[in-house]
Amino acid sequence: MTVFAVDGHLLWQVVWVSLLAGVGISALFSFVIVGAARADEARRAGNGGAAVGWAALAVVTFALFAVGVILGVQALVHK
Amino acid sequence: MDHDLVLWIVVATALAFDFTNGFHDTANAVATSISTRALSPRLAVSLAAVLNFAGAFMSLAVAATIATGIVHADLITPAIVFAGLIGAIAWNLATWYFGLPSSSSHALIGGVVGSAFVAEGAGAVYGSGIVDKVVVPALVAPLLAFAVGGLAILVAYRIVGSQRPGPVVRGFRLGQVLSASLLALSHGTNDAQKTMGIIFLALVANGNVAPDADVPTWVVVSAATAIALGTYVGGWRIIRTMGSRIIKMDPAQGFAAQSVGATVILAASHVGFPLSTTHVISGAIMGTGAAKRVSAVRWGVAGNIVTAWVLTLPASAVVGGVTYALVALLGTDGVGPVVVSAALLAALAVALGRRLVAGRTLTAEG
Repeated sequence: MTVFAVDGHLLWQVVWVSLLAGVGISALFSFVIVGAARADEARRAGNGGAAVGWAALAVVTFALFAVGVILGVQALVHK
Repeated sequence: MDHDLVLWIVVATALAFDFTNGFHDTANAVATSISTRALSPRLAVSLAAVLNFAGAFMSLAVAATIATGIVHADLITPAIVFAGLIGAIAWNLATWYFGLPSSSSHALIGGVVGSAFVAEGAGAVYGSGIVDKVVVPALVAPLLAFAVGGLAILVAYRIVGSQRPGPVVRGFRLGQVLSASLLALSHGTNDAQKTMGIIFLALVANGNVAPDADVPTWVVVSAATAIALGTYVGGWRIIRTMGSRIIKMDPAQGFAAQSVGATVILAASHVGFPLSTTHVISGAIMGTGAAKRVSAVRWGVAGNIVTAWVLTLPASAVVGGVTYALVALLGTDGVGPVVVSAALLAALAVALGRRLVAGRTLTAEG
C-alpha cells in the first residue's frame, strides 16, 4: 500500500524497528544500572554469590547495549 | 562579472549555513545532558563539536540530494542555491532568536523551493517530493519518537523502580554521555554532508570539478570545521528550551529521550526513511515527560515548537523567493549575489553593533 508517495510497508518497518531498538536500548541500560547497584549492595552485605550473579547481569546487559551502540555506528558509516 | 566570484559567494554562504546548522542543532545532542547535569555546558558543547567534526569525515558519499526529487535538478543555478541558502539561514536565525528548535534540512529545502519557484515557476517544484520528503517525515518523526520515548521511560522506571536514587542517577548520567556522543556523531555525518553536497554542486556547475570526481579535501575540511565551530558556539536559547522549558527532566528521562532519539534516527535512516533529528529529539523529550505525567509537559511551549515546524517550509520559501527576486533584479551573473551579500553582512554588523552598545549601556547602568 502506498500512502501519498510513501511506501506503507517502509513506514511500518520504521515504526517497529524504532520501537524495538528504542525501548530495547533503554531497557538494557536500565538492567546495567540495576545489576551494578545490586552487585554493590550484595558485596557490601557480604553476599558473594548474589554479588557475582548481579554483576554478571550488569556485564551481559552492558555487552548487549554495546553491541547496539556498535550497530548504530555501523549504520552511520554504511548508510 | 567573474563567474568565480559567484561561486565563492555561494561557497561562503553554504559555510555560513553550515555554521548556523551547527549552532542551531547543538541542542539536539547536549540539551538534556546539560539539563540533568550529566555534563557541564562547556564540556557538552566541546564534546559535541569534536564529534560533529569527526562525524563529517565518517561517510563521504556526496549528499547532493538535499533538494533532489523536490525541485527539478537541471534547473538549479548558483543564484537559486544562493537564495535558498539565504532563506534557510534567515529561518535558522529567526527560530534561534525565539529559542525554537526547528529542522535545518527543512529550512534548506524550503529556501531552495522558494527560489526555484520564483526563478522557474511552479513547474520547477515537485509537489509529491515535498509530501514525501518533508510533510510525511515531519508527521511521523515527532509522533513516533513521542510514543517510543514514553514507552521507553515507563520500562526504565519499572526496571530501576526499587533501587536507591544515587546509583540510578549516576548510571543514567553516564549513559547520557554515550547517547549524546552518538547523537553528535550522527549529526556531523548527516548535516555536514548537506553543505559538502551544495559546495560540490556549485563547483560542478562552475566547471571546477567533474561530476564524477571525489569531493575535494578542502570542501570536507571546511564543512566539518564550520559545523563544529557552530556547534561549539552553541545556540543557548534553543538549548534552554529543549533542556528545561518543555519538561523538567530527571537523568532517566534525559537518557531515555537521547537514546530513543539516536535509535529512532539511526533505525529510520537504516531502512531508508531519514527523519529530522530536531523533530525526533523534541518528540522524545515530550514523550518521556508525558509518560510520567501529562501535565509535566508545558504544552504551550510544545505548541510554539510545532507552530515553528509548520512554518519552516513556507517561511524559508518566502525568504528564498524574495531573495532570488532581488538577485534577479540586480543580475544573477554576479552583481545580484554581491549586492545582496553585502547588504546582509551590513545588516548583521548593525544588529551586532546595536547589541554591543545595548550591552555596554546595561553594564554602565548596572
